[in-house]
Amino acid sequence: MNVVVAIKKVVDTSEAADVVEVDAAGKDISKAGLVSRLNDWDGYALEEGLRWREKLGGTATALTVGPRDWDDVLRTALAMGADAAVRVDEDAASMDCRSVARILATAIGKLPHDLVLFGAQSEDFGSAQLGPMVAQMLGLPHATLVVGLDVNDDRVHVSREIEGGARELYTLTLPALLTIQTGLNRPRYVSFSRIKRAREKEIGVTTLHELGLSSADLVPSVTLERLELTPAGRRAMLISGNPEEAAGALATLLKESGVI
Amino acid sequence: MGDILVVAEHRGGQLAAVSLEMLSKGRELANHCGGQVAAVVIGKDADRYARRLAQHADTVVVVDHHGLEDSPAEPSQRVLSSIVSERKPKLVLMGHTSFAMDLAPALAVELGAALATDCLDVSARDGVFRVTTAPYNGKVRAVYAFAPSDIIIVTGRAGSFPVEQAQGQGDIEVLEYDVEQDGQRKVFEGYVEPEASDVDIAQAKVVVSVGRGIKDSDKLELAEELASALGGVVACSRPIVDYGWLPAGRQVGQSGKTVTPKLYVALGISGAFQHVVGLTGAKMIVAVNKDPHAPIFGVADYGIVGDLFEVVPALTQKVRELKA
Repeated sequence: MNVVVAIKKVVDTSEAADVVEVDAAGKDISKAGLVSRLNDWDGYALEEGLRWREKLGGTATALTVGPRDWDDVLRTALAMGADAAVRVDEDAASMDCRSVARILATAIGKLPHDLVLFGAQSEDFGSAQLGPMVAQMLGLPHATLVVGLDVNDDRVHVSREIEGGARELYTLTLPALLTIQTGLNRPRYVSFSRIKRAREKEIGVTTLHELGLSSADLVPSVTLERLELTPAGRRAMLISGNPEEAAGALATLLKESGVI
Repeated sequence: MGDILVVAEHRGGQLAAVSLEMLSKGRELANHCGGQVAAVVIGKDADRYARRLAQHADTVVVVDHHGLEDSPAEPSQRVLSSIVSERKPKLVLMGHTSFAMDLAPALAVELGAALATDCLDVSARDGVFRVTTAPYNGKVRAVYAFAPSDIIIVTGRAGSFPVEQAQGQGDIEVLEYDVEQDGQRKVFEGYVEPEASDVDIAQAKVVVSVGRGIKDSDKLELAEELASALGGVVACSRPIVDYGWLPAGRQVGQSGKTVTPKLYVALGISGAFQHVVGLTGAKMIVAVNKDPHAPIFGVADYGIVGDLFEVVPALTQKVRELKA
């Protein structure tokens, strides 16, 4: 079974990360000082794809659209066990989702694919659009927010997350495209020696031109006008002071309001 | 500027609250721009929602077919694609739900429509539709403008659009669509309801909740101690369940539980909307986070910007003193 996993590189702006700032152009955040890494959701998608490739044979290819410094997330994929890595050499940061989806669909169309996996969304813009767009472009059945899957001959049984902790079950005929939700597996630990070996593996680099795409195929339908910081503590009354003082003031407030 | 079509969603006999929110927004935009609002509701016995929807919409299109249970995305795509192609609305609105996440991007490609997802606001001024989103874990706001396009599809975040009172009586049309599943390439097999949990966080009076900022499963103890001092239980945001540090029954949010405590304490939780939709029923929300721009401070009543590893032990101590 041939698996393609589409991945991307993001800056870490999770709870564990530092404070973010908007850059001078006002179109993105300032990436200086922030750690860049594989999109969280994509780690689960890679792990799932690799497990099924290991079980059923075939190839697993990691694919991205990005500049040269995105090679490191492809190397992570190779170190995890992907057979091949392909990068479409294009900085897609300012493109709309439909254009990126067009590029990915064209690239996936040229790769052997029975199962195409995406992370359910990205940590940066989080629009969750790419997977189902690519599925529609390639004419593949799809399911999003997948929290469990089982490949059986030419079918895949999936469990997808819906609101309130409930799930929907579907059976899809391969080839199919799934977007993977976090938590459906534990992405494997990648040892330093594997990362080192992955550095020697080749990354297939292709271009829009080689894919037969031109700017006429990538006309944006929606444009980012500006980005601004979310106002700090818009609603909350922020309690100042050192940890000791702030904690004391908060405990007093809780007492006064009768919750303790 | 043209008509607006709102896709209403339902499950288990309940109309989704977000559908009425989107319908209220649709009404406001239509009043502003001069256009009609149509609501579409698809599925078995969907006519039961028609009157409620007709209070806001000029027209309610009911697609009632025994082949469509609740709101499954896949056959809905073919129904909507057909309705949108026929009626040519300028804007299609729906909630940013699991249903829409499966449906909207594929529908946009099929119709050649422009799409924006998970929007906090939608506006129409001088002939341009704009939306606001909250990228980078909600730490920034982004404003997008749509190019003049035939059709625009927008999915809106639950809780972002107030539901307006409306006493209209729109027309109700019942359509028959003979929907077969898509050549059996995607077959709906059923639902699985969530499992029962060890601790019922939904009933707790005090909930101390931890997020990724806790960094290490050993540190959950800090939250346990604060919860014990406050007489509450420990809950969490999604990453903590994904890491296997707490069971799924402890998760608060869209894919977890809705809680209604008198006090909710959020520790190291940035406040992604998937989490905060689960605590709209909390009487008081307190947040500790090191980032002053963390969206949790947008919903909390009181906040401490600081290192939770320092603040929480101090808070536990103070609470114990005040209770003693």
